[in-house]
Amino acid sequence: MAEWTEVNFGPQHPSMHGVLRLRVKLDGEIVKEVEPIIGYLHRNAEKIGELQFYCDNMIYFDRMDYVAAMNMEVGYLEAAEKLLDIEVPERAQWIRVMMAELNRIASHLVWLGAFGLDLGMLTPFFYCFKEREKILKIFTEVSGSRQQLNYMSIGGVYQDVTDEALDHIRTFIKEFPKELNKIESLFVKNDVFISRTKGIGVLSKEMAIDYGVTGPMLRASGVEYDVRKAQPYLVYDKVNFDIPVSFKGDNLARFLVRVEEMRQSIKIIDQTVQKLPAGPYFNQKAKKPLMIRLRGQGEVYARTESPKGEFGVYLIGDGSLRPYRVRVRSPTFKNLSVLPALAKDQMIADLISIGGSIDLVFGEVDR
Amino acid sequence: MVDILAEEKTKDGRKVIRVAKENLIELMKELKSQGYNLSLTTAVDYIDRIEVVYHVYNMQKNEYIIVKTETRDNHVPSLTSLWNAANWDEREEYDLVGVIFDGHPNLKRLFLPEGWVGHPLRKNYDLSKAQYVNMDEEGNDYVTFDPEGGW
Repeated sequence: MAEWTEVNFGPQHPSMHGVLRLRVKLDGEIVKEVEPIIGYLHRNAEKIGELQFYCDNMIYFDRMDYVAAMNMEVGYLEAAEKLLDIEVPERAQWIRVMMAELNRIASHLVWLGAFGLDLGMLTPFFYCFKEREKILKIFTEVSGSRQQLNYMSIGGVYQDVTDEALDHIRTFIKEFPKELNKIESLFVKNDVFISRTKGIGVLSKEMAIDYGVTGPMLRASGVEYDVRKAQPYLVYDKVNFDIPVSFKGDNLARFLVRVEEMRQSIKIIDQTVQKLPAGPYFNQKAKKPLMIRLRGQGEVYARTESPKGEFGVYLIGDGSLRPYRVRVRSPTFKNLSVLPALAKDQMIADLISIGGSIDLVFGEVDR
Repeated sequence: MVDILAEEKTKDGRKVIRVAKENLIELMKELKSQGYNLSLTTAVDYIDRIEVVYHVYNMQKNEYIIVKTETRDNHVPSLTSLWNAANWDEREEYDLVGVIFDGHPNLKRLFLPEGWVGHPLRKNYDLSKAQYVNMDEEGNDYVTFDPEGGW
């Protein structure tokens, strides 16, 4: 007990994701205790949400999970539109699914590249970001910006997808599976990668459920649960896709599940491009000057599947122009809370590997 | 059976169970034995009372239930003995709303540093007063009202 060394890790450290700070107690190279200290990126989006009109909140949700802004927008709008009784035209729903899935791939690619960096592999990072750049080009085409998109709005999407953007998407889904195989082989054919992930950080099914872990991490532990299937929103009940599951629960399983999820996303995007119906992309009831006059009464809770897990938005309206309470269930927040239990009695090098496999984005943890 | 106060529906059709805070643990134990798991803990400030809201779901039955309890003295029993998922959520709600969860093993502020004055998600929180954070020799954060003394 007396010989334990206390090490401060982060918030600014090259192998930390964002501004995570860990207080680690070490016995030689063995981690005995981990205490995550979070809040360095906290700006209380929930309080800001209470002070603004319903439509203004969009930009703060963009900045939560900043590598998957489309999924955050989908999550907020699912709740806000139910509360405000705004219907979304069919075409806008398909466009939303298309964009959410594109962003899911982009988010997983960022994770994949960063995970490689954590384990000392620089090369895959460039391949991943090269592919992600193509997705960001599509986003620039439709919304005008690369990351903080603000593309969707209450009642639909900001502008229609152009034919040019659809062409870009078609080329992307044709070429991406080949590139993904290439990227995957860079990882799985690497002996160092396998030995640092296989059997490391095993999360059992019971523990995952107990800690409220969701998303790819839960599915890597052998639970076949995906909100897109369990409670379909938008048009997810009209597209075909599978839920990848692994039963190992280690770092490698989480890697494999995410890679397979990208393939499934390609499948979904392919279907949305083919089935995209004609019609309006925006509900005229929520057009510009009317948008800020929307009033909400009652309470709703919307669950969506973001790339990191189950993203929930709980909104309470009191009949005024602003929400009474905004509460966000952030998946990475819950997934991070399992880290102290996972890293206990592991080597310190594995702590980095386990932390990397969680897919941390601090905009979302700290909100 | 546990005594419940009322059953209602949210606007999007989710079932809401209202329960007195004395019966909360008992109800949650029963739900857990039926296969429900905790997804989210949150609290809403209604000025005269605080409503603590629990979201539980059942993967097998694919059901989602919201359990509500209210408190006037800021105290509610902690659910950390049933689910570890309650741990960080309760710390967050203590930090931002100021609900005290009795029986929580480590009820410290999560996002804001220790010593922060007030709970931001309270409706009467004073937004006009800026607070600044700095770090002492030991590596612990502290709070000051002096703009020069921190960030």
